[in-house]
Parts: sequence; C-alpha cells; structure tokens
Amino acid sequence: MAVSRRKFLTTTGGLALAAGLPSMPAFAQDRSIRHFWWGNPERDKRTFEVIEIFDKNHPGISVSGETIGWGDYWTKMATQTAGRNMADLVQMDYRFLFEYVRRGALQELDPFIGNGLDLSNFDKGPLQGGMVDGKLYALNIGSNSQVFVYNEAIFEEAGIADTDVINWTWDQFADVCKTITEATDGKVKGSDDCSVVLEVCEVWIRQNGSSFFGPDGDVTVTPDIIADYWQFWHDLREAGVLRSADKSLDANLPMSDVGIVAGDTAISNFWSNQIVGVQALMQDPVGAAMVPHKDGGAPGQFIKPSMFMSLTRDSEDPEAAIMYMNDWINNPEATKVLGLERGIPANPDVRAALAPDFTPAEKVSVDYFNAIQDKVGPLPPPEPKGAGEVRDAFIRAGTDVVLGYTKPQQAAEVFVDDAQAIIDRAR
Amino acid sequence: MKNTKARNASGYMFLTPWLIGFFLLAIGPILVSLYLSFTRYDMVGDPRWTGLDNYIYMFTRDRRFWKTLEVTFHYVVFAVPLRLIMALGVAMLLDKGLRTIGLYRAIFYLPSLLGASIAIAILWRQLFSIDGVVNQVLAVFGIQGVGWITNPQTSIYTLIVLAIWQFGAPMLIFLAGLRGIPKDLYEAADIDGTSRLRKFYAITLPMLAPVVFFNLVLQIIEAFKIFSPAFIISNGTGGPADSLLVYTVYLFNEAFKFFRMGYASALAWVLLVIIGLFTAIAFATSKYWVHYENERD
Repeated sequence: MAVSRRKFLTTTGGLALAAGLPSMPAFAQDRSIRHFWWGNPERDKRTFEVIEIFDKNHPGISVSGETIGWGDYWTKMATQTAGRNMADLVQMDYRFLFEYVRRGALQELDPFIGNGLDLSNFDKGPLQGGMVDGKLYALNIGSNSQVFVYNEAIFEEAGIADTDVINWTWDQFADVCKTITEATDGKVKGSDDCSVVLEVCEVWIRQNGSSFFGPDGDVTVTPDIIADYWQFWHDLREAGVLRSADKSLDANLPMSDVGIVAGDTAISNFWSNQIVGVQALMQDPVGAAMVPHKDGGAPGQFIKPSMFMSLTRDSEDPEAAIMYMNDWINNPEATKVLGLERGIPANPDVRAALAPDFTPAEKVSVDYFNAIQDKVGPLPPPEPKGAGEVRDAFIRAGTDVVLGYTKPQQAAEVFVDDAQAIIDRAR
Repeated sequence: MKNTKARNASGYMFLTPWLIGFFLLAIGPILVSLYLSFTRYDMVGDPRWTGLDNYIYMFTRDRRFWKTLEVTFHYVVFAVPLRLIMALGVAMLLDKGLRTIGLYRAIFYLPSLLGASIAIAILWRQLFSIDGVVNQVLAVFGIQGVGWITNPQTSIYTLIVLAIWQFGAPMLIFLAGLRGIPKDLYEAADIDGTSRLRKFYAITLPMLAPVVFFNLVLQIIEAFKIFSPAFIISNGTGGPADSLLVYTVYLFNEAFKFFRMGYASALAWVLLVIIGLFTAIAFATSKYWVHYENERD
C-alpha cells in the first residue's frame, strides 16, 4: 500500500498532536511522584533500594528517583524552581532551607502531621531544625556534626594511638601533626590544611565566644579571630606538617581526593555522616576525633540536621509524597536499608533496630555521636540569604593566604568587609 | 499581483518553523534578558524593577567584574593570535598536494571536534594536575613541575594551550584560502629567485588577508565566549584565586549559583557590547591591511 502524501501528513500531524497532550486518560489511575537528592554512589544505591521497596508496598504509586552530586544539585534545583518543575520531594540542607522557604518554594508539613505523617516517635530536638517561623517545612532525615576523621593505623604507627581525640586542644593537635609527619618521614603529613574550610573556621569562631552571623543576619565575627585561625594553619604549613598548598585550595573536593583517603594525610575534616563513606574508600581503619578545642574556650561544634526532606510547592500529589516521606522514617524495611548513611536517625526505635547490625564504621559514627553530646554548643541561628556566597568568598580569601598572596590579618579584614557587603546586597 | 501575494504567503508558510524558532527561541529570550537586566530577579519570585542599579553596581563596586575582564582579556590576547598562527602554519604544511592530505586534514581537525566536549576538559584537568601526565613527563627530565591548574600564575595558560590545540576550524578556512592564491604569482617569484620568507610576506599574507580577517573576527568572538573548559577545569568555581574566572563562568555563577538573573542578564549585555566593540575595531583597522582582489584602487 502506497502512502499518499496527504495521508502521511494527517497521520504524522495527528501523532504530533497526541504527543502534545499533557497526559492520556489511560494512565490516569497511576500516581507518580519524583524524589530528588544529592548523593554519592553508596547513597544512591540505598535510596533506589528504598524506592523499590516503596513501589512494591504501594502498587498504585510509582516513584522516580533523580540524583546528582552536591556541586550541581543546587544549580539544577534553582533551574527547576524557576521553571516551576520541582520534584515532589527534595533533599534540603540547613544552609538553604530558609532561602527556599522565603521564596515560597516549599510546602508546610504541619497539616500532614498525624494525617499521613507519623511523628509521634520522633526526637523533638532534630524536629526543631526543620522549622521556620514556628512551622515545619523540612523533615530531618539524619543528624550530624563536624568531625576530624583520622587514620588509626598511622596513629598506631606513630605511637600516639592513646591520644584523647575527644578532648584534645589545638596545641595537642599541632603536636600530633608534627609527630605523624616525623614518624612517616614526611610521606604522610599530619593533617589537611583547613584554611579554606569555613565549617572548621566556624567552630573556631564559636570557641572564641563569637559567632559568624548575628541573629539579624549581620556578620558579627571580628577579623582578628579569623586572622588567628589562618595564622594557626599558616604556622603548621610553615612547619611542613600539612598537605601541600596545591591540594588545599578546593573546599568541595570529591571524597576520594580528600587527604586522608588519598593517603596524603592522617587527619581530614568531614561531617560525621560521611565517616561510613570515608571508611568505604579506605583500607586502614578510621577513627573519629572532635575538632580540637580552644584551651578554656567555649564549645565550638554543634549537632546539626545533616539532611532534610521537603515537600515542594510544585507537588501535584502531596498525599502520595507524604506516604513516601512517612515510609522513609517509619517503615523498618526502608530505615534498615538507609542505615546511618545520611546521618543519625531521629527515631529511637529505628536506632535500636539498627544497632545489632552496625559495621565497624557505623559503630564509630554512633559512638562518636554519643561521646560529643555534652561537648557541643547550641545550633547557630539560620544563615541569612547570601551565606552560600560568603562561603565562596571565604574560600577565595583563604586561597590567597595559603598561597602567600596576603597576610592573614589583611585577608581577614578584607574578607569580613566583603562578607558584610554580600549580605547587604542579598537583602 | 494577486499571484505574487499568494506566492509570498506560501513562502512565509514554508518559513513558519524557522520564524517560530526565531521569535520564540531567539528574539523572545533576548528581549526578556534585556528587560531582566534592569531588574532584580531570583528565579522564584517576580522580577523587581531596579533601573540602572545592576549596571552601576557592576562598574563601580563589583571588584570581581574587573577581575573577570582581566582574566578574559588575558585569555583572548594570547589564545586568538596563537591559535591563528598555529592554524596558518599547519595549513601551509598541508598545502602541498600530498596524496594523503584528506587523512591529515581529518587528524588535525579532530581536536576541534573534541575540544568543545566535556571529556577533553576533564582530560585536561588530569593532564595538568599536580601528579598528572605533564608533570610525570617533566619528572623524567628532572624538572619538578608545579600544579599547573591549582597555581593561579599558570592556570590560565592551560586554557590557552587547549585553545591553541583546537586550531582545526580556522585551519580548514586557511587551507581553502591558500588554494585560492594563483600559482603564477609563486612561479613568477621563483623565476626572480625570491626567498621563501619573502614569498610568504609578499604573496601569501597579502593574498590571504581577507581570510585572515575573517578568521580573526570569528576567533575573537569565540574566544570571548569561552565557557566549558574554564568551567570544568576550575570545577565550576573560576578558581584558584579567580584565575580562571572567565566572563561567562562568572556570568553563569551569578545566574545559577547565586540566583541573580537580573545581574547576570546585565553582564550578558555588557559582554555583547564588548564583543561588538572588538569586532568593530577589527573592521575599522581592516581597511589598512585587508585588500580584496576585485577592489579598485
């Protein structure tokens, strides 16, 4: 049968028209939701497994998972937000939560509590972190804190395995760095250089009784404190006990390139939920140390919600999305798969159920988490708009110091001015 | 009369797909970006009119704006001439009537096809990293290499080397231009016993001037727009110490990292003016050094 031109045109035209229709009635009974998170291979594996479990338990609903690395996550998120095409459920970070709530991109969760979302068994502390103006916008799916992960085998080799790494001070830390570098003939340096790591600097600032941002969002830290911080690392760098400057300029390194994993150093800074991931990439056993304390100073570290799950404005089927969210924190099948990878779960029953099957690294995480409970300060107030950019400015200023372009004092003064200017501009 | 009208109508009918694309995907967004450049827009709320604020901030208070101009000019000033010299050199080598010329042309053109790709940028980052191939080769000769990419003094040159390596497109155009130069000019020069160098300056370059000019303009425009290699090599940051912060990377980060769509749009329009300016300068000087064969004196 020959296809006439007219017939061809009408058929293809019809097809094109059909393709343009939003959704065909035949698929109407199928409900679908999207879940978007930043991840790493291990996290992605576990999350997709949870999605399978959910699909199995709820045949009418299909979940599609979307994942991407942290670096690109917020770009994609912003684009989807602007295009009004956000996934139903997105992974949120404490740093960005307030920006997204203020932009009206997230839905309040309070109407669903007890109405699809069961929080009766949820720790109250972790719940607080997801509240903005007294309303719940983000569900905590794990808590964490700052941590210095160290290589136990190298500590052993250097004869310092008995260091009290929970209560140590910056002076002791400096000594440890020197001992390690000497014991390994400089093949392994003591520590990564944290000059560009704002997360560690923030701990330092709090130890000095200050805070980076004040309650109204202004920059309250004084240049002197930051200059001291940079000077501390500068002295260690001069002593040759830190990772080379060339490798210390990127605060967003993939986990495999961080000093301790790459085998360049014995100590690297992380968030405590990353301990499991770090151990997965290493042969030597790792231990968890607190960020060193200031002698006689205030507690610097804090326990922070490591990740949240939020319901977005663009969700068309919030009911299905909440079902999924509820399974995440309450369904034993799902919580078992998730384990501690995203942080310590806030449901005591879940924690108890997980305990017997802990891997050594998971045990390190939980023991660390328990050990620091009374050595941390309060959660700092939410960061103001522009905080992400301030972090970038800190990396730039720190880079100049590491490379010796600027002296710590001068760099700190310029940086504090810049930071305030960024905050002012973002208002 | 009626006939012409009907014919015009059917002409426009055939143009429709293109017209739709042109207005929807080109003119539309361009006009929107012009409007946005006078607003403050974070992609979620509605744009708020701020008049000339974005432009005033850019020229009076934004230190990174001047830094990004410095980096971009640095790149353009080195990358464009070096790439053109490389392209012309290789084109002259290939302009010998070899039997396997097609193969060589393809091989030399290959980097330009690959160059825009993410894969090459990632490869570049590996090659020039502190324990990358380049330093390993240098180590064989007892030279202690630096972290080419992490060292702000050298990082921009890794980009420039990449640009030189991608000389394929201008090379092809040069090759076509070289073919167009009448052989009798060279024969006459040979009879006079002219040196090779002299032939190059007296025949090849002047005859090729229109092609050089064409390539120059295209390459200037392209160089100002450099994005993906700088973005990938610097991990999207433009670092270290903003040494890879070329204009479009800065623009991208303002738009998609800090959600300042209005400011990013203003940056885009300033880039347009800058490129326009440089193209105009190239055109203005061209009358002193570009002569066309069919021109009457």
